[in-house]
Amino acid sequence: MSRIGRRAFLTGSAAVLGAGAGAAAAAEVNSSHPASVAPADVAVPSPSAQWQMSQAQLAEREPFKGVHQAGILTSRQAQSTFAALDCFAPDRDILSVTLQALSQRAQQLAAGGPVPLLEVDAPPADSGILGPDNAPDSLTVTIAFGASLFDGRYGLAARRPRELVQMPTFAIDDLDPARSHGDVLLQICANQRDTVVHTLRELLRTVRGSLQLRWVIDGFQSPRRGPTARNNPRNLFAFRDGTSNPLTTDPAQMQRLVWAGSGEPAWAVGGTYQVVRVIRMHVEFWDRVGLNEQQNMIGRVRDTGAPLGGTSELEDPRYDLDPQGKRIPLDAHIRLANPRTAVTSDQRILRRSYNYSRGFDAAGQLDQGLIFVAFNRSPQRQFVPVQTRLLSEPMIDYITPVGGGYFFAPPGAAGDDWVGSSLFA
Amino acid sequence: MFTSLGWLRLAVGVACAALGAFALVAALGLGARGSGASTAPAAAPVPLAAYVEFAPHVASQLVILGFQGGVRGAPLVSPHGDPPLPASDFARPVAEYLAYAETQLKLMAGPLRSLEVALSENDRNQAERGWEAAYARFLHLGAVYLEGPAAVLNERIDGSPGGLSGGTASPRFTGLHRIEYGLWTGAPPDSLVGWARQLSADVGRLRALLPRVSISPLDYATRAHEILEDAVRDLLSGADVPWSQQGVLGTAAAVAATREVIATLRPLINMTVVGTELAHLNAVIDSLAAAHGGTLPTNTELSQDQSEALDAALGQALEALALVPPSLETTRPPTTPTIPARAVEIDP
Repeated sequence: MSRIGRRAFLTGSAAVLGAGAGAAAAAEVNSSHPASVAPADVAVPSPSAQWQMSQAQLAEREPFKGVHQAGILTSRQAQSTFAALDCFAPDRDILSVTLQALSQRAQQLAAGGPVPLLEVDAPPADSGILGPDNAPDSLTVTIAFGASLFDGRYGLAARRPRELVQMPTFAIDDLDPARSHGDVLLQICANQRDTVVHTLRELLRTVRGSLQLRWVIDGFQSPRRGPTARNNPRNLFAFRDGTSNPLTTDPAQMQRLVWAGSGEPAWAVGGTYQVVRVIRMHVEFWDRVGLNEQQNMIGRVRDTGAPLGGTSELEDPRYDLDPQGKRIPLDAHIRLANPRTAVTSDQRILRRSYNYSRGFDAAGQLDQGLIFVAFNRSPQRQFVPVQTRLLSEPMIDYITPVGGGYFFAPPGAAGDDWVGSSLFA
Repeated sequence: MFTSLGWLRLAVGVACAALGAFALVAALGLGARGSGASTAPAAAPVPLAAYVEFAPHVASQLVILGFQGGVRGAPLVSPHGDPPLPASDFARPVAEYLAYAETQLKLMAGPLRSLEVALSENDRNQAERGWEAAYARFLHLGAVYLEGPAAVLNERIDGSPGGLSGGTASPRFTGLHRIEYGLWTGAPPDSLVGWARQLSADVGRLRALLPRVSISPLDYATRAHEILEDAVRDLLSGADVPWSQQGVLGTAAAVAATREVIATLRPLINMTVVGTELAHLNAVIDSLAAAHGGTLPTNTELSQDQSEALDAALGQALEALALVPPSLETTRPPTTPTIPARAVEIDP
């Protein structure tokens, strides 16, 4: 490997630890030089040191239990699957038992540990694809409910979260009903692909007969390729995504922007509305657009992620000094998404999106895009006005929202509770 | 000198083979760092533009190479030299295009009449043929960059149900695709006569508006590229024609429209490369018709080989067309003002 090549590689991400030789070194570099470029001549750890680091990462655990569910404020793991399920439980009691089993199995998997041995004549208790001892690998399973779960089937209509409706069709959408909505959504995230694959397989086995797949999509987060540990990874339009997210470390901000509270049924307090939009990006078309036009559509410099006219990704775009859009066009994506005014401050959403790539369409064009995920306290106050503003952005020619849905992630489980138990209390 | 010469040659070879065009953005940097000079390999590519950028972490050098006399033609060259071109250069192309568009709408009258007659006679087969002729003729207009009442009419004529609340059941779902939906999903043809009458009236109204439509040079240059982008995104994918699957027919019309727009722009820049690619694409489409008894196949009737061949020719034409808008700029992009110094980081 040439020197430059290796250097570029070493400034890469901590998020793909264990994914290949050298990745472990990147983590070390980033943690010891959190805000600077890695020196060119960092020694690559020995194979045994790399092995130990990858094992340490596999052993990392995200607590399943808590006031709120995991997988919402949790910093994004590298891999994900979103699985929407439809419910075939014959009555409310069986639905309750099903959701309890789902929650408990998810809790077991997030904790990891040895797989119980059954009689050898019986099918094994676990598919075993992670081996006899399931490593937690920062697994989170976030369970959410769609509006359709609150229809007449289970007598839950009166308990529907106040703003939970079927996701409306926005003017730019071309929603495929077979890839939209659903009674239950599972958001499964971990750092390794096989952990996610294993989790989906085990969870479906647990609730077979009551919950059946409606649609599923796999996502990945691009690694943090720098130049510093604080720079956000890129989406498949090559622009950095997630830059102006609210602070997950600020409980007051999370209370205001994420967690459902007053006005909601008591069981739902501490939950959150989860918006999932599968947005196809017409990447070949995008790649044929001039860089200048791309940057004006987004409002940022592609390479650095800085707002136009700036030098650093994390710098304030100062719209107040650019009221006519001479620096950042008034219809640029970042400006419409978050105008940073006092009025729109309460409209901010917590984004937790993933990239996807899943084959190609009938015209030979790659089917790539974004699994846009937003958590918010009130879609009517937050997501809907943001999305409505974005309907007039020039970028709409290059994207087509094709699926997803509105869901409500109930509060977390504490003690002997399970996720969703308060709904049946 | 480049230490990555072999890599560059490979890239050039791939670009020639894949694009049949003349431009390549090559990200270089190995060995050239610090020298600040770009040295193109002898004989082959002539740089149209070269600039050097030093990102804070990795030195990189970007060189845009033009392939003078490349495998299929010469680069886009304006008689005025490099862009920007005078905006007045576009007056005649736009006028020619609008006259062409009016002719296309005039030519829709015949198929629309046949469609209405066939519908009222409950002759589904004839009605489908009439619909196809009317639809193809409408797509001969190319991508429509209309504003105001003309845009509303265009949506009524060619709008899809995707973004409408209620989808196909929405009362705002009208025009060509409303009739397509009815015809190919078994609705009684004579139940669609009302939609056909409304469609004819809307086409007449659009035609009456055309003389007052204005198109900016930027929009017109972009149109040259985007007619076929739309064909790939909306027609060959089946997205806009889910019932009839007449995406190849639509694409053939889009190619004709693109060729018309390119023909009007010929006095402005050298379009040899683009013309060659479009002619090749047209030949591929003709061969598809020949292979299907003289009629263009639907998307779903294409064999895998045919589908791939069409996608290849279309993709290649699009890569060439993507160079048209930047060659037709009428203004230089303004320099972006700098954020005043007081800027602070907003996220820790």
